[in-house]
Amino acid sequence: MKQTAGPVTTTIKVLLTLLYGVPLFWIILTSFKSSADVMSTQSSIFFRPVTTAYVEAFNGELFTALGQSVTIAVGTTALTMLIAIPAAYGLARTSGYITTIGLGLLIVFQMMPQTANVIPLFQVFGNWGLLDSVAGVIVADTALLAPFAIILLRPFFRGVPPELEEAASIDGSGMMRTFFSIVLPIARNGIFTAGTLVLLMSWGEFLYAVNFFLSPGSYPLSALLSQQVSAFGINWPGLMALAVLTSIPVLIVFSSTYKLLRDGLTVGAVK
Amino acid sequence: MSILTSGLRRTAPRPARRLTAALSLAVVGSLALAACGSSADDSAASADTLTVWHYFSDANQVKIMTDYADMFEASHDGVTVENVFVPYDQMNSKLISAAGAKTGPDVVVFNGADAGTLALGGALAPLDEQWDAFADKDQFPDSVVHTIDDTTYAVQGYVNLLGLWYNADILDEIGVEAPTTIDELEAAMAAAKDAGYAGMTLSGLPQSQGEWQAFPWLSTEGFTYDAPDAGALEAGLTRVRSWVENGYLTQEAVTWDQTVPFQKFAAGGVAFAQNGNWQMGTAASDADFEYGVVPLPLGADGQVYLGGEGEGIGAFSKNPDLAWEYLAETYYSADGQLVAVNNVGSLPSRADAGQDEAVTGNALLQPFSETIARFGANYPASVIPAAAVADVQLTVGQAWSAAIGGQKSPADAATSAVSTLDGLLKK
Amino acid sequence: MTAPLASAPSPTTLTPGTRAPAPRARTGLKRGNKLAFLAPAAIFLALFSVYPLITLVRMSMSAVNAATLNGDWVFTGLENFRTGFASGETTQALWRTGLFVVVVTVVGMAGGLAAAIALRTTGRWSGVVLAVMVFVWALPPVVNGSVWKFLLGDAGLINTIILKTGLTDTAIPFLYDQHWALASVAFVNSWSVIPFNALVFRAALMGIAPETFEAAALDGANKWQEIRHIMIPAARPTTLVLFVLTVVFAFRSFDLIYVMTYGGPGTATNTLPFLGYLQAFVRYDFGLGSATSVFTVLFVIVLAVVYARSIRREESES
Repeated sequence: MKQTAGPVTTTIKVLLTLLYGVPLFWIILTSFKSSADVMSTQSSIFFRPVTTAYVEAFNGELFTALGQSVTIAVGTTALTMLIAIPAAYGLARTSGYITTIGLGLLIVFQMMPQTANVIPLFQVFGNWGLLDSVAGVIVADTALLAPFAIILLRPFFRGVPPELEEAASIDGSGMMRTFFSIVLPIARNGIFTAGTLVLLMSWGEFLYAVNFFLSPGSYPLSALLSQQVSAFGINWPGLMALAVLTSIPVLIVFSSTYKLLRDGLTVGAVK
Repeated sequence: MSILTSGLRRTAPRPARRLTAALSLAVVGSLALAACGSSADDSAASADTLTVWHYFSDANQVKIMTDYADMFEASHDGVTVENVFVPYDQMNSKLISAAGAKTGPDVVVFNGADAGTLALGGALAPLDEQWDAFADKDQFPDSVVHTIDDTTYAVQGYVNLLGLWYNADILDEIGVEAPTTIDELEAAMAAAKDAGYAGMTLSGLPQSQGEWQAFPWLSTEGFTYDAPDAGALEAGLTRVRSWVENGYLTQEAVTWDQTVPFQKFAAGGVAFAQNGNWQMGTAASDADFEYGVVPLPLGADGQVYLGGEGEGIGAFSKNPDLAWEYLAETYYSADGQLVAVNNVGSLPSRADAGQDEAVTGNALLQPFSETIARFGANYPASVIPAAAVADVQLTVGQAWSAAIGGQKSPADAATSAVSTLDGLLKK
Repeated sequence: MTAPLASAPSPTTLTPGTRAPAPRARTGLKRGNKLAFLAPAAIFLALFSVYPLITLVRMSMSAVNAATLNGDWVFTGLENFRTGFASGETTQALWRTGLFVVVVTVVGMAGGLAAAIALRTTGRWSGVVLAVMVFVWALPPVVNGSVWKFLLGDAGLINTIILKTGLTDTAIPFLYDQHWALASVAFVNSWSVIPFNALVFRAALMGIAPETFEAAALDGANKWQEIRHIMIPAARPTTLVLFVLTVVFAFRSFDLIYVMTYGGPGTATNTLPFLGYLQAFVRYDFGLGSATSVFTVLFVIVLAVVYARSIRREESES
C-alpha cells in the first residue's frame, strides 16, 4: 500500500503530530520539573531538570502494583474477548427482535455512568465474597468493557461473507469448526483491534480498582496514579512521571500489535 | 470462492484455536490468582491488624500516618497498623458503599466537614461511650467534636484554617505594611498592581473549596447561614468581582483548587495569597523571597472556618477497642498532636498541646492561633442540617465561582444562591 | 470514471468495509444455533450489568441520600425528575450537553477519519504519530486534563504563543470564560476520542485489498476520488458503530470536565453527566443524580433505536 503523501495528507499529519506530540512532550517535560518550577516556568522549556519524581516513583509499591495491573488487564481482556467474540458473531448472523433488543441493551449498558455501577456492584460482590479480590475487579471491568467490545466487533463479523460459511458447511464442516476455521481468521483484524483497545482500557481503569480493593498493597498502577492527586491539589511532577512510567507497557503492547496489524493481517486475509 | 475457502481452511485453524486456548488459559489463570489473593487477605485481617483509611498523599502528611503507626506498634506488641490510601473523591462513597456491604476500616481519617454525611450513611461508629470516659476530653474545644443528633462520631486532632500570606519583598518595594483592614488590603493590592505584580491568589473553584475560601469575605459583609441575606452575599461577591475587574485577582482563579494559587504565590510576583497553615512546607521549599502571614483583614463579623480532618472508628470495625486506643494514643494525645505540628504545621486541637513551644515559638503559626481566637468558626456552620452540608457548600461555591468568572452578576448569583439556600436550610 | 471504481472486484467483500449479503437462506434451526453464541455474554451481563441498571432506575424513582442508601428507599415516582427540571439545572445542562455532544461527535468523527486516512500509509512518521496518539489516548483523564489545563492557562504555551505573535493583546480566557470554557472542554474531549476513532477507522481501511487501489490507479483516479469512492464506502459500517460509540462517549464523559473546570465558572460547563455526578456524589442525593443519569440514558435510547433500525435496514437491503 505504497502511497505518495499529498499536501492535504501532510498537513493533517503535521497537525496531528502537533496536537498529540505537544501535550505528550509537555507531560514528559513536567515530569522532570521540580514542583516549584511547574508554576514559575509554565510556558517555558528552560528549567533545571530534576529526576525527583522518578526516584520517588520507583519503590516496592510500584512493582506490586505492576503485577496487579498485569493480572487485571490480561484477565479482563481474556474474559471480555471470550464472551464478546461469540456474542458479536451471534449478533452479526441473526436478525429479528432479539438482536434488536440485544443491541439496544448493549448501548444502554455502555451509557451507564461508571460511578452509578459502583454501589450496586459493591453489594453483589459483598454477598459473593468478591470484594477485595482481583477476581471482583476483573468481573467488574469485563461487565464494563464487554458491551463496548461486542458493539465494536459486530461489523467485523458482518464483513465475513456468509457464502464462505455456506461453502464450508456444504463441505461438511460443523458450525463450531466453521466459526474457528473460517470466521475467526477473517475477522482477526477487528479482533486484534478490539482486543488491544480492551487491554489498554482495562490497564487504565481506576474507579473500580480504587473502590473494590480494601486492603493495602492491592491497588494496580492506575489507582496508584491517583495518589498523586491529593485532597486539595495535584503533585504534577509525580503525576506526570508515574503516568509516563505506567504507560510504557501500553506503548509496548501497541507497538507489537501495530506490527501484527501491518504485516500479518491485511496480507493474510486476502491471499 | 472455493479456492479461497480451502486456502483459508488449510492455514487458519491453528492461530484461531491457539488464540482461544490462550484466552481461556488467561482467564483461568487470573481468576485462580485472584482467588488465592482474596483468601490470603482474609486470613491477614486478624484481630491484631488495625486498618486506617486516609486520603493523604503529600509526603509530609503520609509521614504523620507512618509515625502514628510506629508509635502505636511500639507500645502494642503484635499489633500491625495498616494505612490504606483512598483517593479524596472516592473516600465518602467508598465508606458508605462498604458500610452497605457490612465491611470497612477500623479507623477513618476524613474531611471533618463530611462527618454528617458519613454518620448518616452509617459508616462511623458512635464514640459517645469512649469519649465520655476519656480523661483528657476537656482539653478539646467543642468546635472539633463532631456530634450529629446528640451522638458523637468523630473528633479532630488538629485544625487547619486560612490566613493572609504576604510577599514581604513586594510589600517593602511598594512601601506598605501587612494589612489589617480590607481597605488597607485593597490599597496594597492596587499599589502592587501598579508596580507590575499580581495582587492576590485564591481558589474560585465551584465546590466546597470555593465555599471555604469565600466564607471569610462573605461573613465579613454580614452573611451567615443562620439567616442568609442576599444583600450581604451580593456585597461579598461584588467585592471579589471588583478585585477581578481592577486586575488584582485573575479570573483564572475559577479553575484553581487551593494548591495552585499557593504555588503561583510561591513562584513569586504575587503580593498576597489567601491560603492555609498547611502550606508552610511548600513555602519553605518553593519560595525564594521573604514571606509572612497575618490574619485575614476581616471586620467584626468576619468568620474563618476551623477545618481539618476528623478521626473516628469505622462502623464495621472488627476491633473497635483497639481502634479507640489507637485514636487516644495518637490523634487525641498531646504527643501525637505535636507530631502533626512538626511535620506539617497544623494547629493542635488540645489546649495543652497548643501551649507547646513548637506552636508558640513558631512565628508563622502565631497569626493562625490569633485568627482562631478572633474569627474562628465551626466548619461547617452548626445551623446547617447534616444532610444539607454538601448541598450548601456546592451552592455557595458555584455562586462564588460564577461571580469571579463573570458567568453571573454578583446580584444574580446572590439571589439564586439564597433562594436555593432557603430551601436547603429549612429541611 | 466512477463506475469502474464502484464495481471494483470482489476482494473488498472480505473486509468489514463492505456490506455482506444477509444470511437469509438460513433455516429457523440454524438461526437458533447462532443465537447460542450469545449465551455467555447474556448470562454474564445479566449477572453483572442488569442489576446495576435496575438499581439505577429504582434509585431514580426513590428518595435516596447518604442516610437512606443502605436502608429502605421510599418510592417517590417521578419526583426526582420533576425536581431536576424545576430547579432549571437539568434544562440548562441539557442545552450544554447538546452543544457539547454535537461538537465532540462531529470533530471526533471527522478527525478520526481524517487521521485514519492520513496515517494509513506504512511510513515511519505515520507509525510514530499513531503510537503517540494511542499512548496519549491511554493516559488517564486526570493527566490529559491537567496538561491541557497547563497549555490553555493564561501563562500556558498557547496563550504565550498567541501573545508573542501579537494576535491578541490579552490572554484568551480558554477555561474561565463561560463560553470559551464549554468550547475548550468540548475540544479536549474531541481530541481525546480521535485516536480511538482513528484506530478503528484504520482497521477498516487496512482491510481494503491493495488490488482495489491498483485498479483505481490504473483508471487514473486521483487522491480525492480514492477517498470518496474506496475509503469512505469501506469505512461505512464502521462509521455507524463509531458514531454510536462517540455519541455515547460524549454523553457520559465527565472526567475531563472534572479536571479542567469542575463545571465552572459557576455552572457554565455543567453537562448532564457532570451534573449527575455532582448530584449523586457531591451532594449525596443519589435519587436526583440517578434521575439525571436515567434521563440521559433515555435520551440516548432514542439514538439506539435509530441505530437498531438502520442496522435492520442495512440487513434487509442486502
